[in-house]
Amino acid sequence: MDQKTFIKITNPFKDKIYRVAKRLLISQDEAQDATQEILLRLWTKRSQINKYNSVEAFAMTMTKNYCYDLLKAKKSNNLKIVHNNYEDHSSNTVRQTEVSNEVEWVFTLMKELPEQQQLILQLRDVEQYNNAEIAKMLEMNETAVRVALSRARKNIREALIKKQNYGIQ
Amino acid sequence: MESNRIEQLLESYFEGTTTLEQEQELRSYFTGDEVASHLESYVGMFSAFAKAQKETLPLPVKIPSSKRKYGWITGIAAATLLALGIVTKNTQQDTYSGTYQDQKVAVLKTKQTLGMVSKMLQQSTAQLGTVKEFENTANSFFKQ
Repeated sequence: MDQKTFIKITNPFKDKIYRVAKRLLISQDEAQDATQEILLRLWTKRSQINKYNSVEAFAMTMTKNYCYDLLKAKKSNNLKIVHNNYEDHSSNTVRQTEVSNEVEWVFTLMKELPEQQQLILQLRDVEQYNNAEIAKMLEMNETAVRVALSRARKNIREALIKKQNYGIQ
Repeated sequence: MESNRIEQLLESYFEGTTTLEQEQELRSYFTGDEVASHLESYVGMFSAFAKAQKETLPLPVKIPSSKRKYGWITGIAAATLLALGIVTKNTQQDTYSGTYQDQKVAVLKTKQTLGMVSKMLQQSTAQLGTVKEFENTANSFFKQ
């Protein structure tokens, strides 16, 4: 397999790897490094690539493992780095700002979910994989995926309702 | 009438029993303009997912080149250069004879050189004291 074919195969899901990595690692730079690393690992395994039914699913499993390892290493080092990816909201209109605040709030809430729920919510509601695919990627069974997904969604809903009732900003 | 259906979909959505198509329907409803007022609290959630999906990798990925056509030529070239280097080095050694003829001069020169080295070493160890001070200060800040 040459470079061109490899890029053609990985192009449709390289953004997904990046988004999933960013969901877990939060930092834009780290997510970028992770994507680079995962694609590089795929590249070194390119001779076996045909062996996998779905390269994409395999890449997602790699992403999950890679990010979990990174997070574990961080925790054991007792390092806590707060990442801020600054964005410019200046051009938004009032209505858009309102929605955008809500959106940012949802992202903040997602960060507070357990890692597995974050990952499943990202894979299902953002990347739109079905539960069978997610189960395969995360090496879980489908029922467990559905339960975790439901919990993740309900957690977000509860936090949103709480915020509305008390107006916590 | 439509909000009724949306409510039902929402209910199964939170149970995790909606299909991807139904979720797509929810998403287009909540990112649209006509959201019923009592359902507005869900707008943020579905807009967030829609927004998150639009994010893309900011930099292109670097994949190392797979072209190794001329690899063997480079290998041979490197080997030849190495062999050449060894041969010339060996021939150089044969002609080498640069040393002191007089033994006394040789001893004197050696002593001089060693003395200079030890003087320099002493100077450096004296400066190590300052480095130690750094450690003391650092320890007073970071207590294990």
